[in-house]
Amino acid sequence: MITLSRSHVISAEFPDEQTIRFNGIQDDHIYSMEITMDVRIADGEILAIEGIMKRYTNFVCPQAEPVLQAAVGMSLREEGWERRVMKEIGRKGCEHFAEIIMECGHCLDQARLSRAMWESLQNDPGLDQEQFIQTWIDGHPEIQLS
Amino acid sequence: MTVRFLRNKVVEVEPQPDGSLVVSWRLTDDLLKAEVNLKVQPPDLEIVEAEAKLARLVPHAWPSASEFIKKVEGVRIGSGLRKIVQGMLGGPKGCALLAHAVLESGNAIILNFTRPVVQSGEKLEGDEMLENLKEMVKTNPRLLRSCVAFQDDSPIMQGLDSCF
Repeated sequence: MITLSRSHVISAEFPDEQTIRFNGIQDDHIYSMEITMDVRIADGEILAIEGIMKRYTNFVCPQAEPVLQAAVGMSLREEGWERRVMKEIGRKGCEHFAEIIMECGHCLDQARLSRAMWESLQNDPGLDQEQFIQTWIDGHPEIQLS
Repeated sequence: MTVRFLRNKVVEVEPQPDGSLVVSWRLTDDLLKAEVNLKVQPPDLEIVEAEAKLARLVPHAWPSASEFIKKVEGVRIGSGLRKIVQGMLGGPKGCALLAHAVLESGNAIILNFTRPVVQSGEKLEGDEMLENLKEMVKTNPRLLRSCVAFQDDSPIMQGLDSCF
């Protein structure tokens, strides 16, 4: 049997042309948490964040919720951003919140690319999707696809 | 508002009759589909088999997953794993997705061992619960300052100064 299972579900919407809004859920046999955060597309800066702890292991854990506000102002594009998230949000708050933020960060460029491809497919259903991706990657040197 | 991107990931640990642990990591989103399977051998948690597949719209620059993942065979899940895996699978000629997959699989193995410890303590209340948490820190010093619950000013840490 499966003795440990962990799921992450990350969704992205674009409330306006400058902003991407992530919702991230981490759910496993031990922990369950959710984060919603707004990120400025141009520089990856976290503009707003909220988190909910649904399942955790001890009575101190919920004190990590206010620590999340330290993420506001951090950029998901700056050098070493993952280390910074783990240090400021993970170590001082909750490592599971930090993991969700990092997962959202990994989806930043994938979400932009996905939206761009969707829009192009509306005009050209026969679009060469592999070529589109390569052209998009070549035209966006800032991206970190993962 | 409809979402413009959706990623689902799941990692599962399945103990085998021979004592090994099989970790299955899968990802699917609008653009990518990926799968990594690792066989991990206790007691030193060595990765003895590693397989990977990438599908859907894979960037051209990424290496062949099925060959590239073989680099982690022989690696042990333990301290320093992040640096080792980033060195093997990360970097400009690597594949960050596969590096994340291996690290998340390693984390799932650790959580698999954590689950019974957490379950055994969850019916405790009051002082018994607090003592159980303190004992957990004493036996797992890596927890020290690892999160808000184990910072110096946490109620769990009170009275444990002499232990570290």
